[in-house]
Amino acid sequence: MERSFYYRVVAYSILTLLSAAVLIPSVEDWMQRPNKLSEQAWFKKIINRKIALGLDLQGGLHLVYEVQVDKAVSDKADRLSAQIEEKLAKDKKVRGVKVRREGDGAEARLHVVFPTKTDARKLDAAFEREFAKYLTRDGGNDAAGEIIFKMDADYIDELRSYAVSQGVETIKNRVDKLGVTEPVVQRKQNDIIVELAGLSQGDFERVKSLIGKTAQLEFKMVDDGTEYMQKLGAHADSHKAQYFGLDVGYDAWTAKDSGTQHSDVYIKAKDKATLEKFVKELPSELAIPSDHEILFELTSRRNDEGEETQDKVWRSYYLHRRAELTGEYLTDAEVGWDPNTGRPEVSITFDSEGASLFEKISGNNVGRRMAIILDEKVNSAPTIEGRIGGGRARITLGGFSDPYQLQQEAKDLVAVLRTGALPAPLKKTFETQVGPTLGPEAVNKAKTSMIIGTLAVIIFMLVYYRGAGLIADIAMMFNVVFLLAVLAMLQATLTLPGIAAVVLTIGMAVDANIIIYERIREELRAGKSPRSAVQAGFGRAFWTVFDAHVTNLVAGVVLYSYGTGPIRGFAVSLMAGIVCNLFTSVWLSRAMFDWTVGRKKVATLSI
Amino acid sequence: MSQKQHFFELIRPDHNFDFVGKTRPLLGISLLLVLLSFVMLPLNSILPSRGHALNFAIDFRGGTEMRVDFSKKLTPSEIRDAMESGGFKDSEVVPLPEFNNAFLVRFTAVSPLSPEQAKKAEGTLRDRLGQDTVRKFEFSEGGDKAYVRLNKPVGIEAIVGVLNESGITTAQVQRFGRPEDNTYEVVLIGLDTEVRKALDTKLGAGSVVSIPQVGSVGAKAGKELRDNGIISLLAAIGFIMLYILVRFDFRYGPGTVIALLHDAILVMGAFAITYKEFSLTTIAAILTVIGYSMNDTIVVFDRIRENTTRLRDKKFAQIVNISVNETLSRTILTSATVFLVTLAMNVWGTGVIRDFAFAMNVGVIVGTYSSIFVASPVLIWLNDKSNASQRKPRAKSGTTPV
Repeated sequence: MERSFYYRVVAYSILTLLSAAVLIPSVEDWMQRPNKLSEQAWFKKIINRKIALGLDLQGGLHLVYEVQVDKAVSDKADRLSAQIEEKLAKDKKVRGVKVRREGDGAEARLHVVFPTKTDARKLDAAFEREFAKYLTRDGGNDAAGEIIFKMDADYIDELRSYAVSQGVETIKNRVDKLGVTEPVVQRKQNDIIVELAGLSQGDFERVKSLIGKTAQLEFKMVDDGTEYMQKLGAHADSHKAQYFGLDVGYDAWTAKDSGTQHSDVYIKAKDKATLEKFVKELPSELAIPSDHEILFELTSRRNDEGEETQDKVWRSYYLHRRAELTGEYLTDAEVGWDPNTGRPEVSITFDSEGASLFEKISGNNVGRRMAIILDEKVNSAPTIEGRIGGGRARITLGGFSDPYQLQQEAKDLVAVLRTGALPAPLKKTFETQVGPTLGPEAVNKAKTSMIIGTLAVIIFMLVYYRGAGLIADIAMMFNVVFLLAVLAMLQATLTLPGIAAVVLTIGMAVDANIIIYERIREELRAGKSPRSAVQAGFGRAFWTVFDAHVTNLVAGVVLYSYGTGPIRGFAVSLMAGIVCNLFTSVWLSRAMFDWTVGRKKVATLSI
Repeated sequence: MSQKQHFFELIRPDHNFDFVGKTRPLLGISLLLVLLSFVMLPLNSILPSRGHALNFAIDFRGGTEMRVDFSKKLTPSEIRDAMESGGFKDSEVVPLPEFNNAFLVRFTAVSPLSPEQAKKAEGTLRDRLGQDTVRKFEFSEGGDKAYVRLNKPVGIEAIVGVLNESGITTAQVQRFGRPEDNTYEVVLIGLDTEVRKALDTKLGAGSVVSIPQVGSVGAKAGKELRDNGIISLLAAIGFIMLYILVRFDFRYGPGTVIALLHDAILVMGAFAITYKEFSLTTIAAILTVIGYSMNDTIVVFDRIRENTTRLRDKKFAQIVNISVNETLSRTILTSATVFLVTLAMNVWGTGVIRDFAFAMNVGVIVGTYSSIFVASPVLIWLNDKSNASQRKPRAKSGTTPV
């Protein structure tokens, strides 16, 4: 026996041991039983990769969104229109200029219409230069005092690209907060691909709405103690019978520093619809002034000791319509706990501009209340105790809800706040949701077919080739171990088609063995000794096996590059299978053959 | 060695079947089958019970597919009627016999709002809120959101009211973008909720136990997937041919490619005849069949190449026949094992695995057949042609005996 044989055996043994070790975390996952070795810190450090189960096996969501990039462009064009109007009025003192947009996306044109021809000349080169990054002149009509601009092509590309990448970031951040293991958020041209595995069915709707959510955070001042609200309160009082559960409430508080007394009237009801109906049906003399609005908050009713009860009620706030501050100035949001009440709260941080605005507003409005409005609902309206520097604010989540649900709500809110609004709307183009029960069902069925198929092949090889068949079967086992180890190293995702590929590999694995064995038989028939027959058989069959494997590999590569989702899983398993196959059937089984024919002078070969 | 060893053999090694001589009638059968595969496509489209060239899954034609589990026994037509009355027109209902009272429901809508509904909603919005107020009601098919663009702020309740009036149920309406944009986002209710509602209304509350699987593909995405599928098939064929050209020579290329096209077409034909669902997985299966069929052809061609240098005194057709015979045992054995495995997957598997295994079963049979009866004759023909043109370099190719 040659020395090189022993080297090979040692090399193969090390490889096998390594493969087995790599598979430990994956197998643990499937068995759902951790073992002692893998809990060691050093082990975790070295081997942390494992095979993930695909959506079709463990249930989950696969979504593809198309970012409506043209809307982002149109929105920007609208904002530019407003800026041009404003700037012309402020810098050039031209009044009555109208800017209107025609067309969408790249086709968008801004028509700047001046009241007179002479006014149109005030839009000079210097003015134009200020907007040069965004707009280029696209003709006009001098006689009518009209100038037409189009969006700069490079800037449009920039906007579009930004809309998609911002969309990816936004979705990523939101999804990260869901606590899903290994979420996938990828960009593919203008599409965003989201894959979330292992979700329960009840979460699907919640997740989908969270991903597409465009939360709007606003801070508006409450207009306290107005005559209007007193009138409204009186009106409500006299119409209580008409609106079921409608009531009038009074706020009274003293500003800490100045000691000034504040008081206010509000309306409340158990049902928000009642309040909305009441406001809608207000007589014209009580119509809400156009610079004000009434929004509602869900609060807990307080008992006589002033403690909150489980009872919830909607109450009104009379607000200045203008938002003092919006979510755009937000840089960060975090879930925390209010030490006094033990409830989850969300603390938010503004950027420098937002912080200075916030400081100014709070300084000017000490003793008054500022409403924090999220999605058109008042979240809370704390009284400003004094000038607030540092750009921080807190949103307390109200009510006696289930604490887990509250925390979840806080987390969702943070996810939405932290990433702000989506720059462009999303359109869903592809969706697959698989319930979590469906996966195990499929796995079980696949398992049965896999075991039956594998057993059939094993028995067939044993019957047909006897001793050599045993070698082929052993090589096939190694093949499966190596294949799974490769998949674990690649952190590949195992899908239903992927399992099919593994089974198929088993079928094809024996093919290489059959080619070689038939060749060995031919050589034996020609009168060669077992040893030289093995040598000639392996030698001659190698290129045939190699060519056959390469063509399969080509099919696999093509599948991988054009396929999506489960098909990719199939391609990865197939390619890994082909490579492992070549190794086990050509080299590993060769070593086993060398061992059987090389020990002593054998007269016959069991093949 | 004096002692002759005996093996367990299915085919005696001294056999010599005349394969090459029988190619003509078999080639006729192959042509007929290929023709049948193609004829089935338009035939399927006009057959009333079928309606499409192939039973394309939503991957390719766009639409929504759901698995619905019911609490009681129902017939497909009952479910179809219930869907119809819920506003889902032309839905297809396929029973899933592997599961209890489970059906696959397929329809063209991909979003809870149809274009007509969107148009109607825009009209109603204009009527109620004023012509000048409403700039646009934006809704694109496939989306689960709509946008109402206005010229001045309007209460959310008013918008919800108008939408409800035009038959649109919303999960939420909220402001979108900056306050001065006056744009409102309408979050629509999910399709599965709508379907559940439609079915429960007609068939009685609690009829639907669960909708464990939902898939929807927009029309554009469907077209993309279909194009990608075709591109991948062509790319695979191209690359394989390239490899054959490098490893063998030009005479071997066309034979393998024709055999492989033959196999791909017949597998597609099998799907056309049985009207089994043709999905992305089927494309993957066809690609695998192509790889497998190549594998088979290459083993035979490898032997032919080896024998041409060994048996110089024999005619090429004879060499081919000898080579096919020599590799016959291997060909049959390999096909048998792969067939066994895929048959097990077909019988005991489910869903995707089953469709995949079906394609492989057909593919293994036609792949084995084609490497002997399609690829080899093409090789012989090309070899004769190239020999003839070498012998008589100026002769026209038309004079070459086939």
